Amino acid sequence: MLELSDIGVRFGGLRALDGVSLSVADSEIVGLVGPNGAGKTTLFNVISGNLRPQRGSLRFAGADIGSVPAYARARLGIGRTFQIPQPMHTLTVAENLAVAQRFGASRVDAQAAAEILDLVQLTGLASRDAATSLSLAELKALEVAKALATRPRMLLLDEVLAGLEAVAKRRFTQMLADIHARYKLAIVIIEHDIETISTLCPRAAVLNFGQLIADGTPSVVFSQPDVVASYTGTVPDA
Amino acid sequence: MTELVLQALWSGILTGSSYALIALGLALVFGTMNVINLAHGELVLLAAYVAYTCESAWGASPLLAIPAGIVIVCIATALTYALVGRIRRDRELNSLLLTYGIGIMLTNGILLIWKADIRSTKSPWLQDAVVLGPLYSMRSELLFFVVSAALIAGLWWWLTRTWAGRAVRAVASNRDAAQLMGIDPHRVEFVSFLVAGLLAAFAGAAIFSVNVIQPGLGISLTVKAFIITVLAGMGSVPGVLVGALLLGLTESLTTTFFSSALQELAGMVLFLVVLFVLPNGLFGTRWRRAH
Amino acid sequence: MAARIVAWLAFAVAAYALVPFAFAGNLYLMSMIIASLTIGGIALAWALLGNLGGLVSFGHAAFFGVGSYASALLVMKAGWPIGISLLAGGACAAFAAVLMLPALRLRGPYFALAVLAYAHIFRIIATEWKGLTNGAGGIGNIPRFPVVFGYDFSSKTGAYWIVLSLVLAFALIYAWIRSSHLGLALRAMHDSEEATRAVGVNSTLAKALMLFLSAFMTGMVGAFNAHYINFLEPDYAFSGLWTMLPIVAAIFGGYRTISGPLIGAVVVYLLDQLVFKAMMPIGHQIVLGALLGAMILFAPQGLLSIFARRRPRMASASGDA
Repeated sequence: MLELSDIGVRFGGLRALDGVSLSVADSEIVGLVGPNGAGKTTLFNVISGNLRPQRGSLRFAGADIGSVPAYARARLGIGRTFQIPQPMHTLTVAENLAVAQRFGASRVDAQAAAEILDLVQLTGLASRDAATSLSLAELKALEVAKALATRPRMLLLDEVLAGLEAVAKRRFTQMLADIHARYKLAIVIIEHDIETISTLCPRAAVLNFGQLIADGTPSVVFSQPDVVASYTGTVPDA
Repeated sequence: MTELVLQALWSGILTGSSYALIALGLALVFGTMNVINLAHGELVLLAAYVAYTCESAWGASPLLAIPAGIVIVCIATALTYALVGRIRRDRELNSLLLTYGIGIMLTNGILLIWKADIRSTKSPWLQDAVVLGPLYSMRSELLFFVVSAALIAGLWWWLTRTWAGRAVRAVASNRDAAQLMGIDPHRVEFVSFLVAGLLAAFAGAAIFSVNVIQPGLGISLTVKAFIITVLAGMGSVPGVLVGALLLGLTESLTTTFFSSALQELAGMVLFLVVLFVLPNGLFGTRWRRAH
Repeated sequence: MAARIVAWLAFAVAAYALVPFAFAGNLYLMSMIIASLTIGGIALAWALLGNLGGLVSFGHAAFFGVGSYASALLVMKAGWPIGISLLAGGACAAFAAVLMLPALRLRGPYFALAVLAYAHIFRIIATEWKGLTNGAGGIGNIPRFPVVFGYDFSSKTGAYWIVLSLVLAFALIYAWIRSSHLGLALRAMHDSEEATRAVGVNSTLAKALMLFLSAFMTGMVGAFNAHYINFLEPDYAFSGLWTMLPIVAAIFGGYRTISGPLIGAVVVYLLDQLVFKAMMPIGHQIVLGALLGAMILFAPQGLLSIFARRRPRMASASGDA
C-alpha cells in the first residue's frame, strides 16, 4: 500500500529525516515509535503531503504521489489525525463528517456517517458544536471519525491516545481494533505507550534522530539494546 | 547617456531617502505591534501641511515647522495607538480596517482645513539648484537627504545602543519572551508609534519642500511605504533602506527612460514581482506566507 | 426558514413595485437609490469574499473599473449587445482576479494590500493605454440601456430595476453557496485550513472561486454603472471611493449577513449624500471614516447585529438572512 524510499527532510541544518525507507502492506497495522523529536510527525507530514521531502520517493497504491498535493492525497485514501486535535470547531460533529465525506469521499452518505459515529462512540453528540462542548477524548474520537469519513485506505494516527487516562486509553485501543476489523484499512500509529503498541500492532518501527533503527515485532524490537537506549538516553555502544 | 543614468541614480537616491523615513516608521510599528498603520501616509501628509501653514502664515522655512509638525503628528499618532489598542479580536485585520478609517478621516480633515489646492514650497532658497559635478538637485532635496541620513543613523544608534531601542527589537522579534524578561510590550509599542510619528514629521517637511502636496497624496504615500517594507522583508532596518533606495531608483530610472506617468506603475510592478518571487523580501526574517 | 423567505419576497415586491411607484417622480432621490444599490452590490461582493473566502480586500475598485471599461469598450468598439456586455464585464473582472491568484498565498494584511496595489496598477494602465481606453480623456457617450418589450430601460426606473435585479441575484447566489457543502467547507477552512485539507478540501481552489465570484459580481456592477452614467474616466472608474464606500457599508450593516451590506449601503450612502454632504460640502466623508472606526471598535459585527436576536445554534448553521 505504502512504500517510502530513502526519505530525507532537512530543516536548515537539522536532518529531521535521514534516509527513511518503510513499507506498509494493505490492512497492516504498524506502530511508529521513538523519542520526542525523532521525526515521527515529520514522517506523517511527508506521507500526508504537508511537507515535501528533499530526497526520496513515496508510492501509494502503486503510484508515485510525490507531487500530489495534500488535499488530493486525502481523496486518494490517506487519512490522518493531528497530534493536537484540529476540529472544524464552528461546525457540528455531523457537519465535520459531512465535509469530510463530501470532499474526501465524493459522496455524503448519512448511513456511513452514522456507522462511523457509532464506532467512535459519538452518536449522541452528532449535533453538538465541535469546539465548545467536547471533551478531549471526544475531540480525539472526532479526529478519527473525520479521517474515517473520507473512506481512507490507510489511516495515520498521530499520538491519538496522548493525554487520555488509562481507562479511556484502553477503550480507545479497543475502538481502533474494531475499526481495523470493520474497514480492513492499513493503520500507522504513532504512540509512546509501549503496552498499547504491543497490544494493537503486530509490527513496530522505531525512529531515532530521523533514522529507522528497528523494524519488526514489538517483543523483538523493544528488547533491542539500541531501541532501549534511545528511550533511556544512554548512548548505544558503537 | 551615462550622464542621464548618473543623474537618474542621484535623483533616485535623494528621493529614496525621504521614502526611507516614511517606510521606517511603518516598519517599526509593524515590527512591534504586528499592525500595518494604513493612516501612516496621512500622518506624513499632515506634517507636510503643517510645514505649509508655517511657511504661508509666518514665512518660516519648512525646517522650522518641524517641531510643530512633530507635536501635531505625535498627538495624532498617540490617538491612533490608543484606538488600535482597544481592538480585542482579530487585531491583524481589524487594525487594518480601523487605520483605514482613520486615514479617511485624516484625508478629509486635511481637505476641510486646507482645501483641495495643490501646494508646494515658495522658498527660493529651497528651490535653488545645487550642482555637484555633473549632478543636479534642488537644495531642498540635498538638505533633506542629509537630514534623512542623520535621522536614519540616529535611529540605528538608538535601536542598537540604547536600552529603549533594544527593548523595541526584543518585542519585535519575540513578544512573549520579551515580556518574560520584564519588558512592557505596551510601553514599547507606544514608543515605536511615537518614533514612527517623529520620522513621519520629518518626512512630511521633506515632501512639502521637495514635491507638491494635495490631500489625496496620503494613500499613495502609505502604499509606497508598504511596498518598501515588502521589498525589505519585515524585521529588517537595513532592508528598508535598501528597499527605499530601490524604489527611488526604479521611479527615477522609469521617469528618465520612459515617462514620469509610468513611475508609479513601475513601483507597483516592482512590488508585485518581489512579492511573488521573493515572498520574504530581500532581507526578510519573518515568513509572510499563510502556510 | 419559511419566515425568512416570506420576508425576502415581501421585500422584493416592495422594492420592485412600491419604490418606483412612490419615488419615480423624484429623479434626484431615484438617482441616490440607484447609486446606493450600486454600492450595495459591491458591498455584498466584498462581504462574500471576506465572509466565505476569508479574504479582506482593499482593492475592489480594480474589479469595478475593469468591468466598467470592459463593458463599455465591448459595446462601443466590438458591437456587443449591452446585456451580454454586463456579463462580459463581470468575466473580465474575474479574469483580472486570476492575475491576483499568486496573492492568495499571502497572509491577511499582505493580501489586502496586494489587491490595493493591483487597483493602482489597473488605474494607471487605464490612464496610459490611450489607444484602448482613450486615457485620461475618458470615454463619453457610452450607449444607454435599450428599450426592451417597449419599456425604456435607460430611464431611472428602468436602471433601478436592473441594478436591483443584479443585487438580488447576487444575494441569491450568496445564500445558495453559504448553505451548500462548499459553504460548510469554507467555514471549516476558517477554523482549521489544515484539517479541511486533510479531509480532501482543495482550500486554495475554494478561496480562488470566492475571489472570482466576488470580482465577477463587482465587475457586473461596474459594467451597469458605465451604461447608466454613460461616461468613464480612469480616476472615476478606479476611484478609491468604490472600495471605501462598500467597506464602510458592509461593516456598518454587518458583513456576516447577506442583508447587512445592502442595508448598510443604502443607509450609509443616503446619509452621506443627503445629510453629511449638506452639512459639509467638502470633506463630508470624514464622518464615514469615523463611522468605520467606531464600528470596528464597538460593533465589529455591524450595527444590525446589535438588534438581531440570538438564535439557537442549529437554526443559524446556515447563517442569518
